[in-house]
Amino acid sequence: MNKKRENSAIFWLFLAPVLLAFLLVIIIPFFMGVFYSFTNWSSSARADNALKFIGLTNFTGSFKDPAFAYSFGVTILYTILNMIFINFVAFALALLVTSQLKLRNIYRVGFFVPNLIGGLILGYIWQFIFNNAIPSLGRIFNLLAFLNVPENLILSKNTTAILALVAVGTWQYAGYIMMIYIAAIENVPLELHEAAKIDGATPFVRLMKITIPMAAQAFTVTTFLTLVNSFKQFDVNVSLTSGGPSTIYMSKPILGTELLALNIYNTAFVSNNLAMGQARAVVFFLVLAIIALIQVYVNKKKELEL
Amino acid sequence: MKKALLVLVVGLAAVSLFAAGGADAKAGGGKITLMQNKPEIDAMLKAYAAIWSKANGTEVVIKSIGGTAGGVGQQLKADYAAGDMPDIFSFDGIETYKEWEALISDLSAEPWVSKTAVAFKKDGKVFGFPVAVEGWGMAYNADMLAKAGIDPKSLVNLGAYKAAFEKLDTMKAELGVNSVVSMAASVEMGWVTADHNFNSLLSNGLPYGDLSATNALLAGNVDDTRLGEYADWVELLFKYADKGVLTTGNYDSQVGAFATGKAVFLHQGNWTDPNMKAANATFKMAFAPHGSMKKATDGIFVAAPSFYAINKESKNVAAAKKFLADLVATTEGNKYMVTDAGMIPAYSNVTLQPSGMLSQSVQSWAAAGKVYSWNQYNFSGDFRQKTLIPIYNQFATGQISKAQFVDLMKKAFIANKK
Amino acid sequence: MKNNSMKTNNGNKIKAGALIAEIITAIIFLAFLFPFFIVFINSAKTAFEITAYPMAMPEKWGNILANIANIWTSENIRYRSSLFSSVLITAIALFAINILSSQAAWVLVRNKSKTSNAIFFIFVAAMVIPFQIVMFPLLSWFRMITKATGIPLLRTYGGIVLAYVGFGISLSIFMFHGFIKSIPLELEEAATIDGCKKYQTFYEIIFPILKPIHATVLVLNGIWIWNDYLLPLLILGKGNVIQTIPLAVSNFAGAYVKQWDLILTAILLAMIPVIVFFLFAQKYIVKGMVAGSIK
Repeated sequence: MNKKRENSAIFWLFLAPVLLAFLLVIIIPFFMGVFYSFTNWSSSARADNALKFIGLTNFTGSFKDPAFAYSFGVTILYTILNMIFINFVAFALALLVTSQLKLRNIYRVGFFVPNLIGGLILGYIWQFIFNNAIPSLGRIFNLLAFLNVPENLILSKNTTAILALVAVGTWQYAGYIMMIYIAAIENVPLELHEAAKIDGATPFVRLMKITIPMAAQAFTVTTFLTLVNSFKQFDVNVSLTSGGPSTIYMSKPILGTELLALNIYNTAFVSNNLAMGQARAVVFFLVLAIIALIQVYVNKKKELEL
Repeated sequence: MKKALLVLVVGLAAVSLFAAGGADAKAGGGKITLMQNKPEIDAMLKAYAAIWSKANGTEVVIKSIGGTAGGVGQQLKADYAAGDMPDIFSFDGIETYKEWEALISDLSAEPWVSKTAVAFKKDGKVFGFPVAVEGWGMAYNADMLAKAGIDPKSLVNLGAYKAAFEKLDTMKAELGVNSVVSMAASVEMGWVTADHNFNSLLSNGLPYGDLSATNALLAGNVDDTRLGEYADWVELLFKYADKGVLTTGNYDSQVGAFATGKAVFLHQGNWTDPNMKAANATFKMAFAPHGSMKKATDGIFVAAPSFYAINKESKNVAAAKKFLADLVATTEGNKYMVTDAGMIPAYSNVTLQPSGMLSQSVQSWAAAGKVYSWNQYNFSGDFRQKTLIPIYNQFATGQISKAQFVDLMKKAFIANKK
Repeated sequence: MKNNSMKTNNGNKIKAGALIAEIITAIIFLAFLFPFFIVFINSAKTAFEITAYPMAMPEKWGNILANIANIWTSENIRYRSSLFSSVLITAIALFAINILSSQAAWVLVRNKSKTSNAIFFIFVAAMVIPFQIVMFPLLSWFRMITKATGIPLLRTYGGIVLAYVGFGISLSIFMFHGFIKSIPLELEEAATIDGCKKYQTFYEIIFPILKPIHATVLVLNGIWIWNDYLLPLLILGKGNVIQTIPLAVSNFAGAYVKQWDLILTAILLAMIPVIVFFLFAQKYIVKGMVAGSIK
């Protein structure tokens, strides 16, 4: 009896601080945010400032807005591309770093360093590189003169600007995911590799038949992390492209690389429509939660099979 | 025992964390906060504020907000939610005024009202203290125009500009320039196209303060001739601009191109004077008439682009009012405004002159009365940034033709109809 | 005889292959760090030099000291006090997150019940919540609390640390949870037999074992707290007494002007503490990631 009580007491005592913080910082503001999305809340001092309940107006308004619909599309595209590139690069780097290279510890640190810097700053650095540094290469080397032609500036066209976002996103995040893969690769017992070598398996076969299946559990985690982080991307978006260049969608001119987080932010601050921004954030959350749940569920199943 | 002591120490430390910095928020008497949107004058304003503080016994905290990730507007919203609004804050026009209408004091009885023509007024009452007078237009490099034999005073209409641009374009190598005009139309520089350049559609050629064209467009009635001429002007500008600067250049590259002698004209305002100084641009420069229409329009765009508002709910309204009044009434205030911050004063009693060439040019245009007003802020920030900027950007990057540009603009105005 | 020669042939092949791999990796490595090189060389240039010749070596390396001195002493940026505040906030938040998350994760793992599963699930699910939904309501809510209880949360160290704890515990509990599952129960049972109270078991036995995960969690949270911009912007507010490094750096970006010379130098100054810290801690980080992520 005493033990059970003691267990229960410790259980709640140890949980109390985090539950309190969680409640105060996440839960309550979250529900407040959801509530506000059904109102005309604006956090400003307009002449007529009464808080009115307006039902689903913010939601229907958002779905009718071509910029929001486009934003959804471009975010999904960005997320898919980002996930593929990050995981591919991270896994490749992990393979390199876990091989017998002499300087592998230095390489490991080097690849991780971009992750240490905030996204806002990374975006500014790369904006500088794309707009100033790369064209200047075209001025220095005649062979690369095409780089200096204004039409070829990477951030001036929609398609290449999105690829630029993916490039920077990958550069920022690959090192971190690489660490997880390193752990998975190094976790494979050496005996398995030795046995396979004796059986005459080439490194490639060993990769496909041993390393990758054993890393299946890591894939669940990395897929989840890259999915959620790509979908939520904001800092790099703001500083690298500010949502530009522009494009035409549903015959309305809109911003061409405005990911969802930026769209929500612009709705709240530039359009001065905080309540609609909240509504879009709620939709954003629901979509992401559903996708993440599906992804983890599918991956867990595959894990068991492998 | 050791553990209990540790817990106690940590607990005390935790409590003190909440107090730290909190005292600052509680102090009501003897302090005013001013939030403004020009980081470039922050140091000078802080220096002046220190002097004023000492003389008046009230602490003055200056917050200068700039940045691509949101300006004064965003910060005000956040501070409003936090219950921490500044006592004085800057705003740019009617749309922003409406956001904060319930909080802004009526300043009609202030002593400086009679000394300025550009205070922010609504329904006959004064609500905004004009910070400075600013002007923009086609700044030109006098040496280069002289070399090409073009008299800037003759550039009063579209025909004159077309001829001048064509001539200068053939002389690019001789003048050492990359392009005739330094113009920016990227999304980031959208304020150059969708705020300033757009304004020439609204007020060029009209009497100062005349809102007829503006109101017509707000009502969705598009004057096709006027819009067509404007499109011709925009096309001309884009045609003779450096494509790199036009499509992806930022402020530094646009101004830098002109300052380092790589362009003959610059589509910007007198606020670039400090940049010219930093780049050691010593050639003679001034503003040419803004001849963007078929008929002659001999003037440039001059107005007070931002105003200070006083928060009704401030705990120190009297001190805030005195701070603003002293800018106009005292020699230290005048010195700060003109000599230190390099602004053109909006008040008739201030006789000092700023040292920048472009600022002096603006002053001479204003003195001659050849000025057009700034009407773009009658359109919401949302409209200018989400709708107009992409249209200009598309046109600049060659994705749409002039006809499509006109069509999209027309559709935008009709859709925006109030 | 035959075996020996085959060995040598294979040996040569392996040597050549290893060399190629080394070179390729070295190239990728340099390419990865190339942007930092750009930041570094441009920190020693003036604003116009940067726009005109971004890839060239600076004319005067001495400029970098001038730029650094400029930032260090500027009253507009208040770098020194921001640095101090950033360090203080990050350190306290990390300390709180690690202790509170690890003890919470432990009880969640050791008490297998529907409740603990549900609680754990909610913590993990919260990782998906985008900041935008809560950022403004958080401000209003903190303000309500202050009005009702008199505890100042906004514009204080306490308020922002509380916010970071709230946002950081999801990932931290997730990581501790995975690792703790692998600690054998016998360890704790032995301790109980020896007469340890529950909390002693945790603090004296389990807590030290979690060292690798502590390091990982410290680094992961440390990175985003140190670089975070939005939360300090809202809770601390721009231009107030307490500022952080990202807020200070953003003061350069005028509405229309980007002072590249100052921005790049400031970036350099902001990156150095993080990199130095990481170089020291990286041994533990990898160990921790090995242990925590796979479970």
